[in-house]
Amino acid sequence: MISNDMKICSRCIYDERTPAITFDEEGVCNYCKTFDSLLEEYQTGKPEGEKRMNEIIEEIKKNGKGKKYDCVIGVSGGTDSSFMVYWAVQKGLRPLAVHYDNTWNTSIATENIRKVLGKLKVDLYTHVCDNKEADDIFKAFFVAGVPEIEASTDLALAETMYRAAAKYKVKYVLEGHSFIAEGITPLGKNYFDGKYIKNIHKKYGKLPLKTYPLMTFRNLIKWTTIYRIKKIRPLWYIEYNKEDARVFLENMFGWQYYGGHHLENRMTSFFQSIYCPDKFNIDYRNNSLSALVRAGKMKREQAIYEYYETSPYIEPELLNYFKKRLVLSDEEYNTIMKSPPRYWYEFPTYKKRFERLRPLFYLLMKANLIPRSFYMKYCFPTQINKN
Amino acid sequence: MLKVRIIPCLQLIDQSLVKTVQFGKYSYIGDPINTVRIFNELEVDELCFLDIRATVQKRTPNLKILSEIADECFMPLSYGGGVKDAETAKKILSIGFEKIIINTAAIENPALIMEIAKHSGNQSVIVSIDVKRSIWGGYVVYSNDGTMKTKLNPIEWARKVEEYGAGELLITSMDQDGTWKGFDNEIIRNISEAVSIPVIANGGAGAISDIGKAANIGKASAVALGSMVVFQKKGMGVLVNFPDKNEVEKELI
Amino acid sequence: MGNLGSVKNMLKYIGAESTITANPVELREAQKIILPGVGSFDQAMKRIEESGFREVLDAKALTEKVPVLGICLGMQLLTYGSEEGVILGLGWIPARAIHFPSDNGLKVPHMGWNIVTPSTPSPLCEKLPGESRFYFVHSYYVKVENESCSILKTNYGLNFDSAIQKGNIFGVQFHPEKSHKLGMQLLRNFAYLQ
Repeated sequence: MISNDMKICSRCIYDERTPAITFDEEGVCNYCKTFDSLLEEYQTGKPEGEKRMNEIIEEIKKNGKGKKYDCVIGVSGGTDSSFMVYWAVQKGLRPLAVHYDNTWNTSIATENIRKVLGKLKVDLYTHVCDNKEADDIFKAFFVAGVPEIEASTDLALAETMYRAAAKYKVKYVLEGHSFIAEGITPLGKNYFDGKYIKNIHKKYGKLPLKTYPLMTFRNLIKWTTIYRIKKIRPLWYIEYNKEDARVFLENMFGWQYYGGHHLENRMTSFFQSIYCPDKFNIDYRNNSLSALVRAGKMKREQAIYEYYETSPYIEPELLNYFKKRLVLSDEEYNTIMKSPPRYWYEFPTYKKRFERLRPLFYLLMKANLIPRSFYMKYCFPTQINKN
Repeated sequence: MLKVRIIPCLQLIDQSLVKTVQFGKYSYIGDPINTVRIFNELEVDELCFLDIRATVQKRTPNLKILSEIADECFMPLSYGGGVKDAETAKKILSIGFEKIIINTAAIENPALIMEIAKHSGNQSVIVSIDVKRSIWGGYVVYSNDGTMKTKLNPIEWARKVEEYGAGELLITSMDQDGTWKGFDNEIIRNISEAVSIPVIANGGAGAISDIGKAANIGKASAVALGSMVVFQKKGMGVLVNFPDKNEVEKELI
Repeated sequence: MGNLGSVKNMLKYIGAESTITANPVELREAQKIILPGVGSFDQAMKRIEESGFREVLDAKALTEKVPVLGICLGMQLLTYGSEEGVILGLGWIPARAIHFPSDNGLKVPHMGWNIVTPSTPSPLCEKLPGESRFYFVHSYYVKVENESCSILKTNYGLNFDSAIQKGNIFGVQFHPEKSHKLGMQLLRNFAYLQ
């Protein structure tokens, strides 16, 4: 539903509602510019990019001599992470696959993990949160009325990967993030860190957190400065086509596509197809659609059509499942969904601390100890359009 | 002919799925309903749920979650944990479970076996016997989630329980539980040869070959798998799975 | 009696609407009937007689000729009677229920997944692959008097009829509601019978 007055980037499909967006004289947005500069800097898919990746691989192998594993890869059962494990093994690396189970996985996710790791003979490390605790945190975020209902899962995965790496003395964590396939996440409206999660839970949750792996500020500093565990994103360097990867995985491993971004986990499905559109009027499909357009893999008109004229796919029974698990009556659910949204800046977080310690994080970023996107997002004051 | 049944045996502590080692420490496995869905997709033969601390923690079975579990399953289900009277047993059977498993309650009140059997048939009552090797050689029966030693001899108790009307026996080796080292086929065989009702071997499975051994050496009619179906491999992460049917068939020839 | 909830669940899963009833009056409206069974023969027959179900069942099955499916004990109830009890069965299919022999080395009850082999062709068994396994749990087996009524056979020490049919009346000894996809196929066949 486009209004004729709404400004849309002339190149991708981010529109003026996107936080911190600016347009140049030709109507091209700053996120496209960021995309271009990343492409240029990392030489993604070009010989120089591949060369740099190979150099990093040699480093990883050298560092891993005498150890059981030389790198850690976070797996979810999804396309990117499944492909990454295959790629790593092909390159002669000895990965340890790591999974954080928030207990909302679909069987497709578990089966995909099992099939891919089984055939590649890769070991799996998991951290399973007690289902009651995981639900208590989810419910706390829901009741609080903030958008980051997925924050607890994302942060827990990051913390779990660090713990696994530390346990086996591994210095490299490989992440399956691809700025080409997933786009650049706008800064601003969404934010999370350990203090935020702890506080939301303290205020709105009921159960003590005993099994949830919280990444405190201290932990982050410990993993990066003392354990010196590096984060590498291979898909920023190498040629990668998500559709091709999907077909390959299906043929090679009997891997199953779950029909849409992130539908391997029901909480993520709820977040993307129901929670964000209904409560915050945010539809995340524009991230990946814009990415495809920028990379020349989809026509802009096609992306605009898909984004504005169709709705996100919703698994039947998803809403019932959500309410049942979090013990919400229809009334309670509706009341909360209708209540005004609240945002991270209304609650205690580490944000100011990250900003104050920017010089430290700059050094960490230079040493590949934190990703550049983390540095950009956390260490600079965020433009908040409070509308 | 009848296949040897392979039954994932899942441990519940109230509403969370866990896995113990030697009846002691446990790790979290996940949400019961989600896990059941996965086993449904994998088309397992049968599923068994044990709320292992119910008796000790003085809890009664959580009918709500059992109902949700039953609603998800398209294969036979059995439940044990804190069942002390026929009323509770009947309720659980009526919400969609095929069999009730009783352990401590059978020791304290053997007539309960007959009561349930009379109403719902012998095949609906499984008596679970936890056994441990005694230092003098031989085996002893334990109750209350392995915390209380009894004076019962497993073979005699098994015979008695059959007389009372039990339809099946679940024999769990406390020593082998969670170790991946294989079943205690000695006691399984001794009991299997002493009774005419089916015996389910439980405790210690670590590889598909263990299934074969329990059936061929231990003479078990069915095999329960614990750690093997919830972990990727020994010492590694949680990953719900089920042994490949073709490979199992080879073991059982 | 029995696992009505599970049957209803599987029917729902395959898209068929069903109602569980203890009320003979409600039964009159049924387009198809499923007779479940766990427990003992005499108990079940007594309940049928005493509840007023008997008249309605006879009318629906024999006069109106609506499709009826008996599951496990429900199938045994369709016969003349069982060695398990003294009360007569519904007598809709000429057959008897006999106790498995306890002296041939095989454990009783017959419990677990066993193979069914097609006998007389029947719409109930459409699309079931050659080596189909279903979940059985029973101590008594059924033997029909007329082979044309036997639609599936199973072996457990001896050959017995694991599924029977006479006209609109069907019986399966195994539990389709506990037999995964093949159980679904069978129930689907029953649900979509004309």
